[in-house]
Amino acid sequence: MATGTQIEVVMPQMGVSVSEGTITKWLKSEGEHIAADEPLLEISTDKVDTEIPSPGEGVVAQILHQEGQTVEVGTVLAVIAPEGAEVSTPEPAAAPDPAAPEPATQEAADASEAAATEGAPADQPLTPEPAPQPAAPPAPAPAAAGNGGGSRTFVSPVVARIAAEHGVDPSAVQGTGTGGRVTKKDILAFVESGAHVAPEPPSAAPEPQQQPPPVPAPAPQAAASEPAAPQAAAPAPPAAPAPPPPAPAPAPAAQAPPKPAPVPVAQAAEPAAGENLEPMTAMRRGIAEHMRRSLDTSAHVTSAIEVDMSKVVAIRRKLKQEFESSYGVNPTYLSFVARATVETLREFPWINGEIRGDTIVTRNYVNLGFAVELADGKGLIVPVVKNAESLNLLGMAKAVSEIAKRAREKQLMPDDVQGGTFTITNPGGYGTFHGTPVISQPQAAILGTYAVVKRPWVVQDELGQDVIAIRPIMNVTLTYDHRLVDGALAGRFLNALRQKLEGWGESDY
Amino acid sequence: MKGAYVMQLGVVPYGEAWELQRSIAGAVSQGAIPDTILLLEHPPTITTGRRTEEGELHVPDGAEVEIFETDRGGKSTFHGPGQLVCYPVFDLKRHGQDVKRYCRELEEALILTLARLGVAGERIDGLTGVWLTRPPRKIASIGIHIAKWVTTHGYALNVDMDPAPFTQWITACGLEDAAFTTIARELGRPVTVDELRGPALEALAEVFGLELEELPAEGAHGLWPQPVHAQLAARS
Repeated sequence: MATGTQIEVVMPQMGVSVSEGTITKWLKSEGEHIAADEPLLEISTDKVDTEIPSPGEGVVAQILHQEGQTVEVGTVLAVIAPEGAEVSTPEPAAAPDPAAPEPATQEAADASEAAATEGAPADQPLTPEPAPQPAAPPAPAPAAAGNGGGSRTFVSPVVARIAAEHGVDPSAVQGTGTGGRVTKKDILAFVESGAHVAPEPPSAAPEPQQQPPPVPAPAPQAAASEPAAPQAAAPAPPAAPAPPPPAPAPAPAAQAPPKPAPVPVAQAAEPAAGENLEPMTAMRRGIAEHMRRSLDTSAHVTSAIEVDMSKVVAIRRKLKQEFESSYGVNPTYLSFVARATVETLREFPWINGEIRGDTIVTRNYVNLGFAVELADGKGLIVPVVKNAESLNLLGMAKAVSEIAKRAREKQLMPDDVQGGTFTITNPGGYGTFHGTPVISQPQAAILGTYAVVKRPWVVQDELGQDVIAIRPIMNVTLTYDHRLVDGALAGRFLNALRQKLEGWGESDY
Repeated sequence: MKGAYVMQLGVVPYGEAWELQRSIAGAVSQGAIPDTILLLEHPPTITTGRRTEEGELHVPDGAEVEIFETDRGGKSTFHGPGQLVCYPVFDLKRHGQDVKRYCRELEEALILTLARLGVAGERIDGLTGVWLTRPPRKIASIGIHIAKWVTTHGYALNVDMDPAPFTQWITACGLEDAAFTTIARELGRPVTVDELRGPALEALAEVFGLELEELPAEGAHGLWPQPVHAQLAARS
């Protein structure tokens, strides 16, 4: 129903038990500009107010339902049009077919399965709000396999959940609702009657179910999943997960596919000789979950390039005194790299982009995150410099030092850590020359910068002959989501970034 | 089990606690810190929600009370010393992504908390919060805000306080004729807010499957404004 590039804002799915909500407040009015992800309205259900963000950037062209109105999931609430575009009125039929009391969405359709693996984030989109898919006409909900009666293909999300909780196949239940639909009562009566044998309770132990079947013990991956920031600060990888206890001797050959080792959830019972056990802190577990989720979402690939920093080093030396005496700011290598990165990102919008559902989001601005390690390995946080494209070198140096200062003084505000579009991590301070950081979701890539090291470097002298010179070399990596960014694009990005840094002129930036 | 932080605070001015929640919500939504629960009290404060209607507020002249307009769901309510205020900052993507289920689970946690003290809390359909019945009287209120599936605000449990402001200063929750009670009144003995902290946390841990860890005073770098941090440090 979307016309041209207009975007419809749809009442999102706010949970399987929620079929409607009341509009409490429009945070924007018609004609106002709105950025992607900026809160557009608030919906109230029960005593919960939920912010609904705009699915795209543009002008609020039409508000179709007013404050105080109650709307069903799937209803089109507003239309966002590109700046200056003509607005075409969406047909009123955009609302879900009233014949289907509980609009069935894909999410609802998945509900029965999802319930079985409750606790596992499964493949939930990582976008904060339910994916703003255009209002698909309510599709028939989980047409349970083997459902004989064509008359009852509808199972409401609530019923689907209850059925799943009790391990009941709704298609096996005689429905008494309208048109033979299976209702909540039917399921409960069915359970009471003992007509089925409940399989193991699905919600019992959620953790162990996250076990990825095909992969053996997760231990070997630990080395690859370095945190998205100063890796070197963390305890050296070998210290991380205790090596799994020696596998039981490869039992009588024939024992078909080796069972994956049980996931090491808690209960690290007794330490073996020479081992020491300490509880994992909540922060550590949080980071673990976050990193795992990012790796499960993006197809991580890393490319690296070597950059001759001679010109930057020379210019920095010149600028340092001026910046420090006049502005009290140290022009760090990081601020040079950040400045050049922002310029390069303008030529490579996908690398500053995001996959949102089935769409690719690009932007005309760069909100640059800097991965920062909290003191004593207490965790990671990524403060964000907003609209970094508007900053020159001095501005960038100031912004970086300002945000670092606020972090040190514990004065970061919520806004300071949100809305990043691209991240730089700078573990080079420890002398590391390479790494493969983890992308900060839902971004598309993360840049790693490493130690500037003097190395023998082949250059050409004025006669065009190869000679070996001593040059300050810095390795730079781009870890990118291969779902969106191909290796060639990443290579071109790194090459363009290198050219900017190697060709830095005194009057640049 | 999922790890979660707990911040045990004393009496915190409403505005300060709100800023703190928003800071934490930013960090939680980014995954920088795990789910975090704040337990605290407020000085006498009236807050209005998104659905507060005119006429709900009728504060007498000279009453010592701050008034805040907030972004939580629900109508007006009253906070004061002797009331346990709990703000769970949870990423609901880890708790079922269901706003109503979250409400029901908070009620469940409140009912379990009360049960530990021998008070029988109940739900009343359509009246979110926790009630004692025969006759109905409200003992705990709920109001929540969600952005990017991260929750702020939470519940307020009347432990030992004069519930008069709920009816005399405001028409709390927009409910005419509703009665309000406290744990102390029901048990017929004085009860401190501190007595409730343990049971409240155990109940939340049970309902949401959390393994709680008190946030060490020195472990909370870079996330919230100084005053609260100092207060936290002073407490432990």
